[in-house]
Amino acid sequence: MATDPRRLDAIRSDRSELENHYIDELVAGRLSRRQFMRRGAVIGMSTGLVGTILAACGSANSSSSASSSSGAASSSASGTPTKGGTLKLAIQAPAAAVNPLTVADSGGLCMLAQTGEFLAFDNNLALQLQPMLATSWTPSKAGAVWTFTLRPGVKFSDGTPMTADDVVYTFQQLADPKNASNALSTFTGVLDPAGVVKVDSGTVAFHLSAPNGNFPYLVSSDNYNAIIVPNGTNFADWQKTFIGTGPFKLSTYTQNVGASFVANPDYWGGAPNLDSTAFTFYASQQPQILALQGGTVDVVVQFVPTGAESLLNSSSYTIIKLKSANHRELSMRNDQAPFTDARVRQAIALSLDRPGMVSALLDGYGEVGNDSPFAPKFPSTNTSVPQRVQDLAKAKQLLAAAGHANGFSTTLTTEQYEEIPELAQVIAEAATKIGVKITLKVETQDNYYGKATYGNSDWLDATMSLVDYGDRGVPNVFLEAPLTSNGPWNAAHFKNPTYDNLVKQYVAAVDLQTQQTIAGKIQTLLLDETPIVIPYFINGLTATTPSVHGVNPTSISAIYLKDAYKSA
Amino acid sequence: MLGFILKRVGLGLITLWILSLIVFFAAQVLPGDPARAILGPLAAPSAVAALSHQLGTDQPLATQYWHWISHFVTGDLGTSYQYQAPVGPLLVKALGHSLKLASVAFVIVVPLGIIGGVIAALSVGKPVDRIISVFGLSATVIPEVVSGIVLILIFGIALNVLPISATWPPGAGIGTQVYHLIMPAIPLVLILFGYIQQMARAGTVEALASDYARTATLKGLPRGVMIRRHVLRNSLLPTITVIATQTGYLIGGLVLVEVLFNYQGIGRLIYNAATAKDFPMLEAGVLVIGIVYMLATLIADIIYSLLNPRIRYRGVE
Repeated sequence: MATDPRRLDAIRSDRSELENHYIDELVAGRLSRRQFMRRGAVIGMSTGLVGTILAACGSANSSSSASSSSGAASSSASGTPTKGGTLKLAIQAPAAAVNPLTVADSGGLCMLAQTGEFLAFDNNLALQLQPMLATSWTPSKAGAVWTFTLRPGVKFSDGTPMTADDVVYTFQQLADPKNASNALSTFTGVLDPAGVVKVDSGTVAFHLSAPNGNFPYLVSSDNYNAIIVPNGTNFADWQKTFIGTGPFKLSTYTQNVGASFVANPDYWGGAPNLDSTAFTFYASQQPQILALQGGTVDVVVQFVPTGAESLLNSSSYTIIKLKSANHRELSMRNDQAPFTDARVRQAIALSLDRPGMVSALLDGYGEVGNDSPFAPKFPSTNTSVPQRVQDLAKAKQLLAAAGHANGFSTTLTTEQYEEIPELAQVIAEAATKIGVKITLKVETQDNYYGKATYGNSDWLDATMSLVDYGDRGVPNVFLEAPLTSNGPWNAAHFKNPTYDNLVKQYVAAVDLQTQQTIAGKIQTLLLDETPIVIPYFINGLTATTPSVHGVNPTSISAIYLKDAYKSA
Repeated sequence: MLGFILKRVGLGLITLWILSLIVFFAAQVLPGDPARAILGPLAAPSAVAALSHQLGTDQPLATQYWHWISHFVTGDLGTSYQYQAPVGPLLVKALGHSLKLASVAFVIVVPLGIIGGVIAALSVGKPVDRIISVFGLSATVIPEVVSGIVLILIFGIALNVLPISATWPPGAGIGTQVYHLIMPAIPLVLILFGYIQQMARAGTVEALASDYARTATLKGLPRGVMIRRHVLRNSLLPTITVIATQTGYLIGGLVLVEVLFNYQGIGRLIYNAATAKDFPMLEAGVLVIGIVYMLATLIADIIYSLLNPRIRYRGVE
């Protein structure tokens, strides 16, 4: 790497300590150019600045994957976009009212993202956090205060300008424990309403309850409830207007049937290519696939491989594959025999043929897991920690050492959802190879989750429990809720003060090097203790006809269509 | 006749009230609660509590039921928990959809079933009878989803002559609507054909063997005229019964067909309401189907008595 020290020094003098730290890491080769771009974005370095630094460091193609700051940019667009037309899309029907505060399902959050925008955009295709309604952000030295500069000149679809008051209102409502806000599972212990402070009409500061190095993700598209709405919005009525700042405006919304949107000519990032979009709501996956094959729709926004073989095995469709942290988690009660012994838990984990599971259950659309929430897609994941592989001899040896030479019998409780029942079957079959007999109890989701509190939920109370977790941009939620001593979703009943402490350090760490170091310790600790097994991470899948270009799906099943177009 | 109708309506109202009680309390037995259904399993407990309070589902059961029924009798169907929108318009639209689909299915299956039954009866025991009857009975056991997928693959994708989705474009005329409903109606036709054909066949066989048919034949009436005037009316009667008793299925029981063909009928609406514990929607939906079912059986009884002189002359029991 041909570094130009003089140019670099000129840049350095204006940069913060943290930014200079990253530049050091880049120059030392500890951060790749790609990692540098991603981390730089998180701490709020502008794309232009990142480009200048990379150029000074001799990077030939500094701007190739650093996307422009024009909001929801897309990566699959090529050639000259065709203007006009209507794009028809199939999505899972929103399960409830489209209320920014309460939305929790894939259909609903996909609707929010059509007209709503976030302070930052977690571009899953580019694996990069990009500016959206905020142009830049900076952390205080310890990461406890984050200051966001808002994009000037942004207007809501009703014509009123967006200011700091709107942003403050939005986040105070989302973080208010008195509200039925789904963002509370993210903001509890991180941000309370009093912590959202207007600095001036174009600047908002977030004073956090505890330092958080990845806070920008929590106000990005990743935290799908956090679309910016006008000050004073009645959230329950929002579905009548869909007022937002995005590239499209609501045309019609019909519960259970569909929704259509028209281009917003005044969009701050320029008018979209399409004239309009039309979403049809479906109750299950199969009719969506049939509709794509029959030409009723152009795009199936999200699907899983099971039951979609006809799409995956055909060359007539474009399949967009996204790396995701969407995973299945097998928990074993650390406080109940026989799983009180870590060796027994390790034995179960060692019995699994993970690559075989990915190919059989996911048709290969996934990555193997290493029994920690650090998915391959997270930049902070420490790749030097060895991958756990199937080892039946060692598993039997561990069981014998734990006093279970002849195996034992237990029950695995799980939910009827996607490929999970089949996965439970595969786990049970693998266990028989080491003499463990697992009886399966597959329940409806209502029965399985119950009240989702300890003592009232098979998910949290069962001896062995297999649950699904959707995608997130950072592993924080996965590290905390299901694994810390006070975590509300700790189905493994895992209580380990060393772990709790490491997670606190990890969450607070602002720079990537520290994050990776602590991640390595957490990954090793989780392999030693094995409170949970994460066999794989599942890719997000979107299918389109070949004439569709420029769509930008996310792995939480939203889709951004500003740059989308249909070629003739 | 009027007294008969009034008595039936009165009994119907009591039945509906009991139905509303059963639905309400049966729904309470199901796991989960409305707020959690909306917010998802991973929502914070404080958020669930706040939403339960907004919806009123944290009130005692008796209070909730009273609140609902006292509004219901005034014509206020309430607000759907799930959709945060008035129940009435959602329900009326879905009911309209269901009635349209049921009508298309009826218009196809009733003539086919009766013709099939009469043809089979006229050649009892012969190969024609066997073929029609075996086909009809076999078809009744094909699940709607299986025949539906086969139809979509053939007519929707391979031949591409019929639309895959039953939902027509906004503002479509009646012709387009029917065009969209042909494919979803066929699985229902397959299921109902066997019943109607068998009933029509049995009625015709019985009528053909009756004294009046023999008398008609003996007095020299041509066979065609004898069948039209004396036999058909008798073979129609059991068909009406079948149709009336299948109304509940055809209006509210088509969840799988509605899902497959992406059609927003009342079956799917009620199914969603039950899984989400959307109580106002569930109650109103079940009651509407109850009312439709009662109306259908009442109308069937009236038509039956008009077609059957023995009942008409005997009057109300």
